[in-house]
Amino acid sequence: MDTGLLASDPHLSKGCRSCHRGNEAGATKEEAHAGMDKRPSDNLATCSPCHKKASANYSKSLHYTSLGQRQGVIPRFSKAEVKLFDEKVFQQSCRSCHASCGSCHVKSPPVMGISLGLIRGHKFIKKDEGKTCAFCHGGRVYPEYTGEYGGSTDVHYQKGMMCVDCHKKVELHGDGTKYLTKQDVKDRPKCTNCHKTIKSDTLRTRVAHDTHRGKVSCYGCHTSGQYRNCYTCHKESVSKPGFILGKNPRNPNEVTTLRVVPTVRDSFARAGIKQEHFDKVPNYWNTPAHKIKKRTDRTRSCDICHSEKKDFLTRETLLKDGSRANQGLIHVPKPITH
Amino acid sequence: MKYLKAFTLMVVAFALLVPAAVMARGIDPVVSTEWLDKNLADQKLVIVDIRKVEEYQEGHVPGAINIFYNIWAPGKDDIQNELPADDDLKDTLSANGIAADSKVVVVGKTDTPPDKVNVTRVALTLIYAGVNDVAVLDGGFNKWTADGKKVSTDAVKPKEKAYKGKFNKGLFIKREDVAAKIGKAVIVDTREPAFYSGEKKLDFVARPGHVKGAVNLPTVSQIFNADSTYKPMAELQALAVKAVGEDKAKEIIVYCDSGRVASAWWYLLREALGYTDVKLYDGSAQDWAKDANLPVEP
Repeated sequence: MDTGLLASDPHLSKGCRSCHRGNEAGATKEEAHAGMDKRPSDNLATCSPCHKKASANYSKSLHYTSLGQRQGVIPRFSKAEVKLFDEKVFQQSCRSCHASCGSCHVKSPPVMGISLGLIRGHKFIKKDEGKTCAFCHGGRVYPEYTGEYGGSTDVHYQKGMMCVDCHKKVELHGDGTKYLTKQDVKDRPKCTNCHKTIKSDTLRTRVAHDTHRGKVSCYGCHTSGQYRNCYTCHKESVSKPGFILGKNPRNPNEVTTLRVVPTVRDSFARAGIKQEHFDKVPNYWNTPAHKIKKRTDRTRSCDICHSEKKDFLTRETLLKDGSRANQGLIHVPKPITH
Repeated sequence: MKYLKAFTLMVVAFALLVPAAVMARGIDPVVSTEWLDKNLADQKLVIVDIRKVEEYQEGHVPGAINIFYNIWAPGKDDIQNELPADDDLKDTLSANGIAADSKVVVVGKTDTPPDKVNVTRVALTLIYAGVNDVAVLDGGFNKWTADGKKVSTDAVKPKEKAYKGKFNKGLFIKREDVAAKIGKAVIVDTREPAFYSGEKKLDFVARPGHVKGAVNLPTVSQIFNADSTYKPMAELQALAVKAVGEDKAKEIIVYCDSGRVASAWWYLLREALGYTDVKLYDGSAQDWAKDANLPVEP
């Protein structure tokens, strides 16, 4: 380790043992590492003596509790199944994925057992989204955002914006409330936080925004291309790109981009969960696809939606053996009559 | 008087040896780290770092702006490395203050084979947009740091300026036009020999082999030194002549798997070696192999 860092960083001035435990008097590596904690910040009590408020808030944040994953699936379960899920699946599977303080500030988080290692030589850093956020959210969000997954780069990345420029500290650390889903979290990013008014010299652009406001989400028009959809995840781990438009399951008055949810009928069969209410919720959720662009096929031509009906969910394109609730997401755009 | 005659002879000899396109440039097509270091203060110079935002933030050539590679070469539907729409490209140039008369140096990294050719793909897009004085940094940012040059972490905010350059529409050729040029133009497959011969193919290419009549002029294994700088121009010229001949006016069409690797030879042939009619088949093997009626060899 860089000795200059040892002297300059207050986190390191109390010695390794203050966080990692172990035995500093040990003569051999084995003796010194006896009782060592490799991921000390998994236990928030390690950080809380100095970072009291942040630790307290973080203990209730979704990144730590992973409750969003639980809440996403339990509407499909009977009461008995929820109990079974909590016992057999949630702690062992979903909760094992939570992010500790160190996952963002010291060492890249492990994903499927693989970590990029120390972010900057054990320096405690404020942020480095490319080595932290991008690693956990690297299956869908991040490569979509940069454009490496295919298609074009999100306009915000083009402007040099990284995750924390929109997803503020309070959203990531939590505000002290134990939310069940990310939809409930206050201070989440909204396009209108920055884009308060539509400035355009073009009448068509102004009319298009006025006409669709409240009926189509910003993503519905400004998502530039295909994004990853886990059609048979938790089964065959096959992922296909796609672009799906339909009714927002959380707001049926709005048309938006939909993404396939990685849950099929036998996702939890191994745990003995049949998902008795599988058909209560759809297999698609509204998705804030991170592929925003000023001009897309849909902003260039009204006909793409109103005549060709391109990419809209239809009975024919619905997932085979999917939830019956999926049918409620079908939206048929009306032709333009004037 | 004797010196004047000798000087005149030297100028004439230089003019005969150096291709017209190269002479018309205000910047060499390939610039060294030494050259860039000495010219950082040039007001006309725009250094474009095409690495990812987070890589740029960790350190870049002082004064460089950041425009990530994918912005220059987005995918469209299932075809990779395409041109951005003209209005999007204009927006990118305007937002970054790049003018048609700017001297642009494209800086990338050289960690992987695609990284090595990304710079020429971006240079091609700039030339397509009408920026003529484009250069690539020899050896990229890797060489810049290896040479101990100064690195900055200050993000540069470019000054917006409406782009007014004239687009060069003739630099690209479409599938049906390539088919019509078989036996007429020199069609150059710039992939490695195993891909040219059909022994290997990438997953996204439907059929193995090369466009009927194409010659092979490999890129990644042939044009770079061990430190990812370009081989000497004389050596590259010899490789080119062997494959495409000496006629600098002959129509040449280059392609690869997806239009990225071929940009290296497109750039070297047209911008450095003086071949005047070089086109890129952007869809490349990915596009060609889709149509079972189009001839493929062997």
